Amino acid sequence: MAYKYCVAECWGKGFITHSDSSKYQVSGFPGNVWQIPANNQDANLWVNKVAGSFKTKAEAQAIVDVEVTAAQAAWDALPDEQKQQPFNRQRPTAIVLE
Amino acid sequence: MTTYYGLYGQKVQYLASDPTDVQIGQVWYNSTSAVLKVRSATTSAAFASGGNMNTARFFGAGAGIQTAGLTFGGSINPYPVFSGKTESYNGTSWTNQSDLASPLSGIGVAGTGTQTAALAFGGNGGAGYTNNSAEYNGSSWTSGGNMVNTSRSRSAFGIQTAAIGANAYLPGSQASTAAESYNGTSWTAITATGSARYDGSGFGTQTSGISLGGRNPPTTSLASVESWNGSSWTAGGSVPAGIEAAQGYGTQTAGAILGGGRGYPTFTFQPNQQDYNGSTWTTSAALSTNRKLAMGGGTTNTNGGYIAGGTNTAPSANAIASTEEFVAAGVGETKTVTVS
Repeated sequence: MAYKYCVAECWGKGFITHSDSSKYQVSGFPGNVWQIPANNQDANLWVNKVAGSFKTKAEAQAIVDVEVTAAQAAWDALPDEQKQQPFNRQRPTAIVLE
Repeated sequence: MTTYYGLYGQKVQYLASDPTDVQIGQVWYNSTSAVLKVRSATTSAAFASGGNMNTARFFGAGAGIQTAGLTFGGSINPYPVFSGKTESYNGTSWTNQSDLASPLSGIGVAGTGTQTAALAFGGNGGAGYTNNSAEYNGSSWTSGGNMVNTSRSRSAFGIQTAAIGANAYLPGSQASTAAESYNGTSWTAITATGSARYDGSGFGTQTSGISLGGRNPPTTSLASVESWNGSSWTAGGSVPAGIEAAQGYGTQTAGAILGGGRGYPTFTFQPNQQDYNGSTWTTSAALSTNRKLAMGGGTTNTNGGYIAGGTNTAPSANAIASTEEFVAAGVGETKTVTVS
């Protein structure tokens, strides 16, 4: 499936409605990046509703990468004893947009 | 000309505000907002955005239902800052409440109950693991009985005065089969589960509950399910794939798990809610934002639930604030009638 991307800040209730989700899938990623199906009129209208700013896939990936890199840096900065904690052993992994 | 009265034998109600006991199929005119409204039924299960929590958190606990929820504890950004933050949800927005005190104010605290009668137990508030519990009455936390075991990350279910804390991460032995029961005053060790796990999920009541999934260190995400009948555990239908750090809600025969995922060292998020009918699992609607170690609650998988917070990077460095609400197919929803 082909996708489009936008950046929008989730304001809370009403950002994505049950009706929206029933018609198409909106998937969120770090950095307020949202993925919607391409060539979907309802999804395009949703981007307009949330005042989203369309991004190319490369631009969206770069935004996500910044967030993941920051998370990795935060993990790297943890003391070794923290890294050994069972809830904390996994370094944040890269997210590759489809 | 066809009229509403001609079709249904009733006139459209002219009301200053939306009715409280509204039925599917009911139509009314809201004179305050000047719109025509109808109560219809959802045709498919789906998630919708809920209000954002005031403080992004993960690895805390949740209680209550979609229109009367409660989250407490966890870690906030920048990780790790352990927190006792407590927030209540009215179905639209979150409100700060009295904080959960140390040592329960931290990660891996377990929780169950309702918005006005919740129970928190176990966890790690930064100074080590605890066996404390605390009870919330809708406005403040008070100390509850001490658990038998010091632990975190239990599968929790039941209510404030009749709860189960099954499985856990125990310092030293890690994944555990230990289970305990609470009567509102004291904790008692009960029959151990068949499988050792922590960061599993739980739902149901003190006499009819489920403990499932979780981690069996160092690398295994478990798919096994165990049903509790008040006296013993029985293996149930396994989840299609291993699942850990997911949020459970519902009943033993109409339960659901939300979020979480599987794998080590590469973690794969579980995007779809998974529903349990007491013997088999089915895949339901997908979350908008993958997350694990989130908080939430709900009624049944045929009605609805909510998931709040969590982290959307694996592992645990980016707490999020957003809420998503699950609404099943066939549930009533109010719509505004538009003609253009």
